[in-house]
Amino acid sequence: MSAELDSFLMQIRSLSDLLHEATPRIESNARTILSTPEIYGIRHIILTGSGDSYAAALAVAPALRAWTGLPVQPMVSMEASRYVDHGRPPLSGRNRGLLVVSISSSGEAARLVEATHRLRALGAITLAVTASPASRAAQAAEKTLDISIPASVSAPGTRSYVASLLGIYLLSLRIAEVLMCMTMDRAGALRSELAGMSNALHGLSESMEAAARERIDAWGLFHAADVLGSGPSFGSASYTAAKLVEAAGIHASAQDVEEFHHLNYFVDTPESIPTILFAPTRSVAVNRTRELVTTLEQLGRPYLAITDDTRFAPAKNVLVLPQVDEFFSPILQTVPGALLSAFTAVKRKAVHYRGHTGPWRGAVDAALVRNSKIELANQ
Amino acid sequence: MQSFSLSTDHNGLYDITPMAEAELAASGVTAGMLLVSIPHSTAAVTVVSPWDVNGLEDVNDEIHRLVPTRIDFKHQHDTPQDAAGHVKAALIGHSRMFIVNEGKLGLGHSQKVYFWEFDGPRNRTVQVQVIGK
Repeated sequence: MSAELDSFLMQIRSLSDLLHEATPRIESNARTILSTPEIYGIRHIILTGSGDSYAAALAVAPALRAWTGLPVQPMVSMEASRYVDHGRPPLSGRNRGLLVVSISSSGEAARLVEATHRLRALGAITLAVTASPASRAAQAAEKTLDISIPASVSAPGTRSYVASLLGIYLLSLRIAEVLMCMTMDRAGALRSELAGMSNALHGLSESMEAAARERIDAWGLFHAADVLGSGPSFGSASYTAAKLVEAAGIHASAQDVEEFHHLNYFVDTPESIPTILFAPTRSVAVNRTRELVTTLEQLGRPYLAITDDTRFAPAKNVLVLPQVDEFFSPILQTVPGALLSAFTAVKRKAVHYRGHTGPWRGAVDAALVRNSKIELANQ
Repeated sequence: MQSFSLSTDHNGLYDITPMAEAELAASGVTAGMLLVSIPHSTAAVTVVSPWDVNGLEDVNDEIHRLVPTRIDFKHQHDTPQDAAGHVKAALIGHSRMFIVNEGKLGLGHSQKVYFWEFDGPRNRTVQVQVIGK
Protein backbone atom coordinates (compact mmCIF):
# COMPACT_ATOMS: atom_id res chain seq x y z
CA MET A 1 0.00 0.00 0.00
CA SER A 2 2.64 2.48 1.03
CA ALA A 3 4.77 1.42 -1.90
CA GLU A 4 1.82 2.04 -4.22
CA LEU A 5 1.31 5.51 -2.77
CA ASP A 6 5.01 6.25 -3.09
CA SER A 7 4.99 5.15 -6.72
CA PHE A 8 1.93 7.24 -7.50
CA LEU A 9 3.39 10.31 -5.79
CA MET A 10 6.69 9.79 -7.59
CA GLN A 11 4.88 9.90 -10.93
CA ILE A 12 2.95 13.02 -9.99
CA ARG A 13 6.01 14.82 -8.65
CA SER A 14 7.97 14.02 -11.81
CA LEU A 15 5.61 15.88 -14.14
CA SER A 16 7.62 19.10 -14.07
CA ASP A 17 10.77 17.36 -15.28
CA LEU A 18 8.74 15.36 -17.78
CA LEU A 19 7.31 18.48 -19.37
CA HIS A 20 10.72 20.13 -19.47
CA GLU A 21 12.35 17.13 -21.13
CA ALA A 22 9.61 15.96 -23.45
CA THR A 23 8.19 19.16 -24.92
CA PRO A 24 11.06 20.05 -27.28
CA ARG A 25 11.35 16.48 -28.57
CA ILE A 26 7.64 16.01 -29.15
CA GLU A 27 7.44 19.47 -30.73
CA SER A 28 10.15 18.51 -33.17
CA ASN A 29 8.23 15.35 -34.09
CA ALA A 30 4.92 17.19 -34.40
CA ARG A 31 6.44 19.83 -36.68
CA THR A 32 7.09 17.44 -39.54
CA ILE A 33 4.43 14.78 -39.03
CA LEU A 34 1.99 16.29 -41.54
CA SER A 35 2.97 17.97 -44.80
CA THR A 36 1.60 21.38 -45.63
CA PRO A 37 -0.66 20.06 -48.44
CA GLU A 38 -2.01 17.43 -46.05
CA ILE A 39 -2.81 20.04 -43.44
CA TYR A 40 -4.57 22.22 -46.00
CA GLY A 41 -6.67 19.23 -47.03
CA ILE A 42 -8.06 18.62 -43.53
CA ARG A 43 -11.77 19.33 -43.21
CA HIS A 44 -12.62 17.37 -40.06
CA ILE A 45 -10.60 15.98 -37.15
CA ILE A 46 -11.45 13.03 -34.93
CA LEU A 47 -9.43 12.56 -31.74
CA THR A 48 -10.02 9.03 -30.58
CA GLY A 49 -8.91 6.79 -27.75
CA SER A 50 -10.12 4.96 -24.68
CA GLY A 51 -9.64 5.60 -20.99
CA ASP A 52 -6.96 8.20 -20.28
CA SER A 53 -6.42 8.67 -24.00
CA TYR A 54 -10.05 9.65 -24.49
CA ALA A 55 -9.75 12.00 -21.50
CA ALA A 56 -6.75 13.59 -23.25
CA ALA A 57 -8.81 13.97 -26.43
CA LEU A 58 -11.58 15.68 -24.45
CA ALA A 59 -9.06 17.96 -22.74
CA VAL A 60 -7.42 19.24 -25.92
CA ALA A 61 -10.33 19.21 -28.39
CA PRO A 62 -11.60 22.71 -27.42
CA ALA A 63 -8.13 24.17 -28.01
CA LEU A 64 -7.70 22.44 -31.36
CA ARG A 65 -11.16 23.59 -32.41
CA ALA A 66 -10.51 27.18 -31.38
CA TRP A 67 -7.01 27.38 -32.82
CA THR A 68 -7.88 25.91 -36.23
CA GLY A 69 -11.57 26.67 -36.72
CA LEU A 70 -12.00 23.08 -37.89
CA PRO A 71 -14.70 20.69 -36.70
CA VAL A 72 -13.03 18.56 -34.02
CA GLN A 73 -14.67 15.54 -32.39
CA PRO A 74 -13.30 13.69 -29.39
CA MET A 75 -14.58 10.16 -29.85
CA VAL A 76 -14.37 6.91 -27.91
CA SER A 77 -12.62 4.20 -29.87
CA MET A 78 -15.72 2.00 -30.22
CA GLU A 79 -17.58 4.77 -32.02
CA ALA A 80 -14.54 5.52 -34.19
CA SER A 81 -14.04 1.86 -35.05
CA ARG A 82 -17.61 0.79 -35.75
CA TYR A 83 -19.76 3.85 -36.41
CA VAL A 84 -17.72 6.22 -38.58
CA ASP A 85 -17.22 3.97 -41.59
CA HIS A 86 -20.53 2.14 -41.11
CA GLY A 87 -22.44 2.43 -44.39
CA ARG A 88 -19.95 4.94 -45.76
CA PRO A 89 -17.98 4.14 -48.92
CA PRO A 90 -14.35 5.20 -49.40
CA LEU A 91 -15.53 7.70 -52.04
CA SER A 92 -12.42 7.56 -54.18
CA GLY A 93 -10.18 9.45 -51.82
CA ARG A 94 -12.67 12.10 -50.84
CA ASN A 95 -12.39 11.06 -47.20
CA ARG A 96 -8.79 12.26 -47.22
CA GLY A 97 -10.12 15.42 -45.61
CA LEU A 98 -10.67 13.46 -42.40
CA LEU A 99 -7.75 13.41 -39.99
CA VAL A 100 -8.01 10.66 -37.39
CA VAL A 101 -5.70 11.07 -34.42
CA SER A 102 -5.48 7.68 -32.68
CA ILE A 103 -4.25 8.13 -29.13
CA SER A 104 -2.84 5.23 -27.12
CA SER A 105 0.28 5.24 -25.01
CA SER A 106 0.77 1.50 -25.41
CA GLY A 107 -0.60 1.47 -28.94
CA GLU A 108 -2.13 -1.93 -28.22
CA ALA A 109 -5.75 -1.17 -27.32
CA ALA A 110 -7.62 -3.45 -29.71
CA ARG A 111 -10.54 -1.15 -30.44
CA LEU A 112 -8.21 1.72 -31.26
CA VAL A 113 -6.09 -0.48 -33.50
CA GLU A 114 -9.29 -1.53 -35.23
CA ALA A 115 -10.48 2.08 -35.62
CA THR A 116 -7.15 3.07 -37.12
CA HIS A 117 -7.21 0.22 -39.63
CA ARG A 118 -10.78 0.86 -40.65
CA LEU A 119 -10.55 4.63 -40.97
CA ARG A 120 -7.34 4.36 -42.93
CA ALA A 121 -9.17 2.01 -45.27
CA LEU A 122 -11.93 4.61 -45.48
CA GLY A 123 -9.37 7.04 -46.87
CA ALA A 124 -8.66 9.20 -43.82
CA ILE A 125 -5.23 10.42 -42.81
CA THR A 126 -4.52 8.28 -39.75
CA LEU A 127 -2.00 9.53 -37.20
CA ALA A 128 -1.13 7.49 -34.13
CA VAL A 129 -0.07 9.39 -31.01
CA THR A 130 1.74 6.71 -29.05
CA ALA A 131 4.74 5.97 -26.89
CA SER A 132 5.19 2.69 -28.73
CA PRO A 133 6.20 3.24 -32.37
CA ALA A 134 6.33 -0.52 -32.96
CA SER A 135 2.83 -1.10 -31.60
CA ARG A 136 -0.17 -2.33 -33.57
CA ALA A 137 -1.76 1.13 -33.57
CA ALA A 138 1.41 2.68 -34.94
CA GLN A 139 1.64 -0.01 -37.60
CA ALA A 140 -2.00 0.50 -38.52
CA ALA A 141 -1.63 4.25 -38.90
CA GLU A 142 -0.14 6.07 -41.83
CA LYS A 143 1.87 8.30 -39.51
CA THR A 144 3.13 8.08 -35.94
CA LEU A 145 3.80 10.87 -33.49
CA ASP A 146 6.21 9.38 -30.99
CA ILE A 147 5.44 10.56 -27.45
CA SER A 148 7.66 8.05 -25.68
CA ILE A 149 8.98 9.22 -22.34
CA PRO A 150 11.49 7.84 -19.84
CA ALA A 151 10.13 4.87 -17.95
CA SER A 152 8.86 5.42 -14.44
CA VAL A 153 7.60 3.35 -11.54
CA SER A 154 4.29 1.57 -12.04
CA ALA A 155 1.21 3.55 -10.99
CA PRO A 156 -2.11 4.57 -12.52
CA GLY A 157 -1.10 6.35 -15.72
CA THR A 158 -0.19 9.95 -15.07
CA ARG A 159 3.02 10.62 -16.97
CA SER A 160 1.62 8.84 -20.02
CA TYR A 161 -1.52 11.01 -19.82
CA VAL A 162 0.51 14.21 -19.71
CA ALA A 163 2.65 12.98 -22.61
CA SER A 164 -0.55 12.39 -24.60
CA LEU A 165 -1.74 15.89 -23.76
CA LEU A 166 1.58 17.31 -24.91
CA GLY A 167 1.44 15.38 -28.16
CA ILE A 168 -2.05 16.58 -29.04
CA TYR A 169 -1.41 20.18 -27.96
CA LEU A 170 1.73 20.38 -30.06
CA LEU A 171 0.07 18.72 -33.05
CA SER A 172 -2.83 21.17 -32.69
CA LEU A 173 -0.52 24.17 -32.60
CA ARG A 174 1.29 22.92 -35.66
CA ILE A 175 -1.92 22.53 -37.66
CA ALA A 176 -3.12 25.99 -36.61
CA GLU A 177 0.21 27.56 -37.47
CA VAL A 178 0.48 26.01 -40.91
CA LEU A 179 -3.13 26.95 -41.67
CA MET A 180 -2.06 30.47 -40.65
CA CYS A 181 -4.92 30.64 -38.18
CA MET A 182 -2.29 32.04 -35.87
CA THR A 183 1.02 33.71 -36.59
CA MET A 184 4.29 31.87 -36.12
CA ASP A 185 5.07 34.25 -33.27
CA ARG A 186 1.79 33.40 -31.56
CA ALA A 187 2.31 29.68 -32.06
CA GLY A 188 5.83 30.04 -30.71
CA ALA A 189 4.55 31.94 -27.69
CA LEU A 190 1.98 29.24 -26.97
CA ARG A 191 4.64 26.54 -27.28
CA SER A 192 6.79 28.48 -24.82
CA GLU A 193 3.82 28.84 -22.49
CA LEU A 194 3.23 25.10 -22.68
CA ALA A 195 6.87 24.26 -21.98
CA GLY A 196 6.92 26.91 -19.26
CA MET A 197 4.24 25.05 -17.37
CA SER A 198 7.11 22.93 -16.17
CA ASN A 199 7.82 25.81 -13.79
CA ALA A 200 4.22 25.89 -12.56
CA LEU A 201 4.36 22.14 -11.97
CA HIS A 202 7.61 22.34 -10.04
CA GLY A 203 6.80 21.63 -6.41
CA LEU A 204 3.07 21.82 -7.11
CA SER A 205 2.36 18.29 -5.91
CA GLU A 206 4.33 18.75 -2.72
CA SER A 207 2.47 22.00 -2.01
CA MET A 208 -0.96 20.36 -2.38
CA GLU A 209 -0.46 16.92 -0.87
CA ALA A 210 -1.34 17.76 2.71
CA ALA A 211 -4.49 19.66 1.76
CA ALA A 212 -5.62 16.95 -0.66
CA ARG A 213 -5.10 14.24 1.94
CA GLU A 214 -6.91 16.26 4.58
CA ARG A 215 -9.92 16.69 2.30
CA ILE A 216 -10.08 12.97 1.49
CA ASP A 217 -9.80 12.09 5.18
CA ALA A 218 -12.62 14.51 5.98
CA TRP A 219 -14.88 12.80 3.47
CA GLY A 220 -14.54 9.44 5.18
CA LEU A 221 -15.18 6.18 3.34
CA PHE A 222 -17.16 7.09 0.27
CA HIS A 223 -18.12 4.65 -2.47
CA ALA A 224 -19.03 7.00 -5.28
CA ALA A 225 -17.94 10.43 -6.48
CA ASP A 226 -18.80 12.92 -9.19
CA VAL A 227 -16.03 14.80 -10.94
CA LEU A 228 -17.20 17.90 -12.78
CA GLY A 229 -15.79 20.31 -15.32
CA SER A 230 -16.57 21.90 -18.67
CA GLY A 231 -14.56 22.33 -21.85
CA PRO A 232 -10.91 21.40 -21.27
CA SER A 233 -11.74 20.77 -17.62
CA PHE A 234 -14.17 18.05 -18.64
CA GLY A 235 -11.10 16.20 -19.87
CA SER A 236 -9.55 16.67 -16.43
CA ALA A 237 -12.76 15.49 -14.80
CA SER A 238 -12.67 12.36 -16.98
CA TYR A 239 -9.03 11.74 -16.15
CA THR A 240 -9.66 12.17 -12.42
CA ALA A 241 -12.69 9.89 -12.45
CA ALA A 242 -10.57 7.29 -14.24
CA LYS A 243 -7.85 7.52 -11.57
CA LEU A 244 -10.40 7.22 -8.77
CA VAL A 245 -11.70 4.03 -10.35
CA GLU A 246 -8.26 2.58 -11.08
CA ALA A 247 -6.53 3.52 -7.85
CA ALA A 248 -9.34 3.43 -5.29
CA GLY A 249 -11.95 1.19 -6.89
CA ILE A 250 -14.88 3.51 -6.24
CA HIS A 251 -17.62 4.30 -8.73
CA ALA A 252 -16.54 7.69 -10.03
CA SER A 253 -18.06 9.45 -12.99
CA ALA A 254 -17.16 12.58 -14.92
CA GLN A 255 -19.88 15.03 -15.80
CA ASP A 256 -20.10 18.38 -17.55
CA VAL A 257 -21.07 21.28 -15.28
CA GLU A 258 -24.27 22.01 -17.19
CA GLU A 259 -25.25 18.36 -17.49
CA PHE A 260 -24.85 17.95 -13.74
CA HIS A 261 -27.80 20.26 -13.22
CA HIS A 262 -29.89 18.08 -15.54
CA LEU A 263 -28.83 14.69 -14.22
CA ASN A 264 -26.46 13.96 -11.33
CA TYR A 265 -28.11 16.69 -9.28
CA PHE A 266 -30.96 14.29 -8.60
CA VAL A 267 -28.86 11.46 -7.17
CA ASP A 268 -30.14 10.43 -3.78
CA THR A 269 -28.20 10.82 -0.51
CA PRO A 270 -26.16 13.74 -1.82
CA GLU A 271 -24.28 14.00 1.46
CA SER A 272 -22.62 10.67 0.67
CA ILE A 273 -21.27 11.64 -2.75
CA PRO A 274 -18.18 13.82 -2.70
CA THR A 275 -17.95 16.08 -5.70
CA ILE A 276 -14.74 17.35 -7.23
CA LEU A 277 -15.17 20.44 -9.34
CA PHE A 278 -12.59 21.81 -11.77
CA ALA A 279 -13.12 25.55 -11.87
CA PRO A 280 -10.42 27.65 -13.57
CA THR A 281 -11.53 31.27 -13.40
CA ARG A 282 -10.31 32.06 -16.92
CA SER A 283 -12.76 29.46 -18.23
CA VAL A 284 -15.58 30.66 -20.45
CA ALA A 285 -17.80 28.43 -18.30
CA VAL A 286 -16.79 30.06 -15.03
CA ASN A 287 -20.07 31.83 -14.30
CA ARG A 288 -22.07 28.62 -14.62
CA THR A 289 -19.46 26.89 -12.48
CA ARG A 290 -19.93 29.53 -9.78
CA GLU A 291 -23.66 28.81 -9.83
CA LEU A 292 -22.81 25.16 -9.30
CA VAL A 293 -21.08 25.94 -6.01
CA THR A 294 -24.34 27.35 -4.68
CA THR A 295 -26.15 24.27 -5.94
CA LEU A 296 -23.70 21.92 -4.23
CA GLU A 297 -24.07 23.86 -0.99
CA GLN A 298 -27.86 23.58 -1.19
CA LEU A 299 -27.62 19.85 -1.85
CA GLY A 300 -25.34 19.38 1.11
CA ARG A 301 -22.82 17.57 -1.03
CA PRO A 302 -19.26 17.43 0.27
CA TYR A 303 -17.22 19.13 -2.47
CA LEU A 304 -13.86 20.46 -3.43
CA ALA A 305 -13.30 23.16 -6.04
CA ILE A 306 -9.97 22.98 -7.84
CA THR A 307 -9.53 26.53 -8.94
CA ASP A 308 -7.10 29.44 -9.20
CA ASP A 309 -9.15 31.74 -6.97
CA THR A 310 -9.02 31.27 -3.19
CA ARG A 311 -12.42 33.00 -2.93
CA PHE A 312 -14.16 30.67 -5.33
CA ALA A 313 -15.67 28.74 -2.41
CA PRO A 314 -15.13 28.54 1.37
CA ALA A 315 -11.46 27.89 2.14
CA LYS A 316 -12.02 24.30 3.30
CA ASN A 317 -13.58 23.54 -0.09
CA VAL A 318 -10.79 24.91 -2.28
CA LEU A 319 -7.54 23.60 -3.70
CA VAL A 320 -5.66 26.35 -5.45
CA LEU A 321 -3.70 26.01 -8.70
CA PRO A 322 -1.66 28.68 -10.50
CA GLN A 323 -3.73 30.63 -13.02
CA VAL A 324 -3.08 29.64 -16.63
CA ASP A 325 -4.79 29.89 -20.00
CA GLU A 326 -7.95 27.75 -19.89
CA PHE A 327 -6.75 25.67 -22.82
CA PHE A 328 -3.66 24.57 -20.89
CA SER A 329 -5.39 24.10 -17.55
CA PRO A 330 -5.63 20.29 -17.93
CA ILE A 331 -1.85 20.01 -17.55
CA LEU A 332 -1.92 21.45 -14.02
CA GLN A 333 -5.26 19.87 -13.12
CA THR A 334 -3.63 16.47 -13.53
CA VAL A 335 -1.82 16.99 -10.22
CA PRO A 336 -4.78 17.41 -7.84
CA GLY A 337 -6.78 14.83 -9.80
CA ALA A 338 -4.09 12.22 -9.31
CA LEU A 339 -3.39 13.22 -5.69
CA LEU A 340 -7.03 12.93 -4.65
CA SER A 341 -7.15 9.49 -6.26
CA ALA A 342 -3.94 8.37 -4.59
CA PHE A 343 -5.14 9.43 -1.14
CA THR A 344 -8.59 7.94 -1.68
CA ALA A 345 -6.92 4.61 -2.38
CA VAL A 346 -4.94 4.92 0.84
CA LYS A 347 -8.02 5.86 2.83
CA ARG A 348 -9.90 2.85 1.50
CA LYS A 349 -6.88 0.57 1.80
CA ALA A 350 -7.49 -0.21 -1.84
CA VAL A 351 -4.94 -1.94 -4.03
CA HIS A 352 -4.52 -0.27 -7.40
CA TYR A 353 -6.51 -2.07 -10.09
CA ARG A 354 -7.61 -4.50 -7.33
CA GLY A 355 -4.27 -6.17 -7.84
CA HIS A 356 -5.52 -7.74 -11.07
CA THR A 357 -6.63 -10.66 -8.91
CA GLY A 358 -9.88 -12.41 -8.00
CA PRO A 359 -12.78 -11.14 -10.10
CA TRP A 360 -10.36 -8.69 -11.74
CA ARG A 361 -7.81 -11.28 -12.87
CA GLY A 362 -8.97 -10.88 -16.48
CA ALA A 363 -7.20 -7.52 -16.64
CA VAL A 364 -3.72 -8.98 -16.20
CA ASP A 365 -1.43 -7.50 -18.88
CA ALA A 366 -4.37 -5.40 -20.05
CA ALA A 367 -5.75 -8.53 -21.69
CA LEU A 368 -9.33 -7.26 -21.59
CA VAL A 369 -8.57 -4.31 -23.84
CA ARG A 370 -5.75 -5.80 -25.89
CA ASN A 371 -7.16 -9.19 -26.76
CA SER A 372 -10.61 -8.20 -27.95
CA LYS A 373 -11.25 -9.53 -31.45
CA ILE A 374 -10.44 -6.95 -34.08
CA GLU A 375 -13.15 -6.73 -36.71
CA LEU A 376 -12.18 -5.20 -40.01
CA ALA A 377 -14.93 -4.18 -42.37
CA ASN A 378 -13.86 -6.49 -45.19
CA GLN A 379 -13.41 -9.59 -43.03
CA MET B 1 25.68 50.35 -35.60
CA GLN B 2 22.19 51.06 -34.31
CA SER B 3 19.35 48.56 -34.08
CA PHE B 4 15.76 49.73 -34.26
CA SER B 5 12.70 47.69 -33.31
CA LEU B 6 9.74 47.47 -35.62
CA SER B 7 6.46 45.67 -34.95
CA THR B 8 4.66 44.89 -38.18
CA ASP B 9 0.92 44.34 -38.17
CA HIS B 10 0.52 43.29 -41.81
CA ASN B 11 2.53 42.34 -44.86
CA GLY B 12 3.72 45.30 -46.86
CA LEU B 13 5.97 48.34 -46.81
CA TYR B 14 6.97 50.32 -43.72
CA ASP B 15 8.81 53.64 -44.08
CA ILE B 16 12.06 53.37 -42.16
CA THR B 17 13.70 56.48 -43.61
CA PRO B 18 13.39 58.29 -40.25
CA MET B 19 15.42 55.50 -38.59
CA ALA B 20 18.20 55.86 -41.13
CA GLU B 21 18.19 59.65 -40.88
CA ALA B 22 18.21 59.53 -37.09
CA GLU B 23 21.24 57.27 -37.02
CA LEU B 24 22.98 59.42 -39.64
CA ALA B 25 22.39 62.54 -37.55
CA ALA B 26 23.61 60.80 -34.40
CA SER B 27 26.77 59.61 -36.13
CA GLY B 28 27.91 63.10 -37.11
CA VAL B 29 29.14 61.71 -40.44
CA THR B 30 28.88 64.18 -43.31
CA ALA B 31 30.48 62.16 -46.10
CA GLY B 32 30.43 58.39 -46.48
CA MET B 33 27.98 55.54 -46.74
CA LEU B 34 24.96 54.38 -44.80
CA LEU B 35 23.97 50.73 -44.73
CA VAL B 36 20.46 49.54 -43.87
CA SER B 37 20.39 45.84 -43.08
CA ILE B 38 17.46 43.58 -42.21
CA PRO B 39 18.54 40.56 -40.13
CA HIS B 40 15.55 38.44 -41.09
CA SER B 41 14.97 35.85 -43.79
CA THR B 42 11.35 36.74 -44.51
CA ALA B 43 11.69 40.52 -44.76
CA ALA B 44 13.67 42.83 -47.02
CA VAL B 45 14.59 46.45 -47.61
CA THR B 46 13.87 48.47 -50.72
CA VAL B 47 13.38 51.99 -52.08
CA VAL B 48 10.00 53.16 -53.35
CA SER B 49 8.25 56.44 -54.06
CA PRO B 50 6.11 57.45 -51.09
CA TRP B 51 3.79 59.92 -52.79
CA ASP B 52 0.92 57.64 -53.76
CA VAL B 53 -0.06 54.95 -51.28
CA ASN B 54 -1.62 53.03 -54.16
CA GLY B 55 1.86 52.79 -55.64
CA LEU B 56 3.09 51.16 -52.46
CA GLU B 57 0.26 48.66 -52.69
CA ASP B 58 1.11 48.00 -56.34
CA VAL B 59 4.67 47.13 -55.38
CA ASN B 60 3.47 44.80 -52.65
CA ASP B 61 0.80 43.23 -54.85
CA GLU B 62 3.32 42.50 -57.61
CA ILE B 63 5.70 40.54 -55.40
CA HIS B 64 2.75 38.49 -54.21
CA ARG B 65 1.73 37.91 -57.81
CA LEU B 66 5.26 36.79 -58.68
CA VAL B 67 5.61 34.58 -55.59
CA PRO B 68 2.16 33.67 -54.32
CA THR B 69 1.72 31.92 -51.00
CA ARG B 70 1.35 28.27 -51.94
CA ILE B 71 1.11 25.05 -49.99
CA ASP B 72 3.55 23.11 -52.16
CA PHE B 73 6.83 24.80 -51.28
CA LYS B 74 9.48 22.26 -50.36
CA HIS B 75 10.33 24.27 -47.25
CA GLN B 76 7.62 23.17 -44.80
CA HIS B 77 9.32 23.77 -41.50
CA ASP B 78 7.15 26.77 -40.76
CA THR B 79 4.18 28.07 -42.75
CA PRO B 80 3.34 28.61 -46.45
CA GLN B 81 3.61 32.36 -45.90
CA ASP B 82 7.03 31.87 -44.34
CA ALA B 83 8.17 29.72 -47.25
CA ALA B 84 7.00 32.32 -49.77
CA GLY B 85 8.59 35.00 -47.63
CA HIS B 86 12.00 33.38 -47.93
CA VAL B 87 11.77 33.51 -51.71
CA LYS B 88 10.54 37.09 -51.79
CA ALA B 89 13.19 38.30 -49.37
CA ALA B 90 15.91 36.56 -51.36
CA LEU B 91 14.72 38.27 -54.53
CA ILE B 92 14.48 41.74 -53.02
CA GLY B 93 17.55 41.64 -50.79
CA HIS B 94 18.31 42.17 -47.16
CA SER B 95 20.44 45.33 -47.33
CA ARG B 96 20.75 48.63 -49.15
CA MET B 97 23.68 51.04 -49.22
CA PHE B 98 23.17 54.79 -49.57
CA ILE B 99 25.55 57.67 -50.25
CA VAL B 100 25.95 60.24 -47.50
CA ASN B 101 26.88 63.70 -48.71
CA GLU B 102 26.89 66.94 -46.72
CA GLY B 103 25.30 65.04 -43.86
CA LYS B 104 22.31 64.09 -46.00
CA LEU B 105 21.09 60.70 -47.07
CA GLY B 106 21.46 60.27 -50.82
CA LEU B 107 17.79 59.80 -51.63
CA GLY B 108 15.94 61.52 -54.44
CA HIS B 109 12.78 63.55 -54.03
CA SER B 110 10.63 60.48 -54.76
CA GLN B 111 12.54 57.97 -52.74
CA LYS B 112 12.05 56.58 -49.25
CA VAL B 113 13.60 53.57 -47.61
CA TYR B 114 11.09 50.84 -46.83
CA PHE B 115 11.16 47.77 -44.68
CA TRP B 116 9.24 45.09 -46.55
CA GLU B 117 7.39 42.56 -44.42
CA PHE B 118 6.55 39.22 -46.03
CA ASP B 119 5.56 37.21 -42.95
CA GLY B 120 3.78 39.58 -40.63
CA PRO B 121 2.74 40.38 -38.09
CA ARG B 122 6.16 40.00 -36.48
CA ASN B 123 8.51 41.82 -34.16
CA ARG B 124 11.42 42.92 -36.35
CA THR B 125 14.80 44.62 -36.15
CA VAL B 126 16.30 47.17 -38.53
CA GLN B 127 20.07 47.71 -38.40
CA VAL B 128 21.73 50.93 -39.57
CA GLN B 129 25.48 51.42 -39.90
CA VAL B 130 27.12 54.71 -40.98
CA ILE B 131 30.66 54.71 -42.40
CA GLY B 132 32.61 57.88 -43.22
CA LYS B 133 33.94 61.09 -41.80
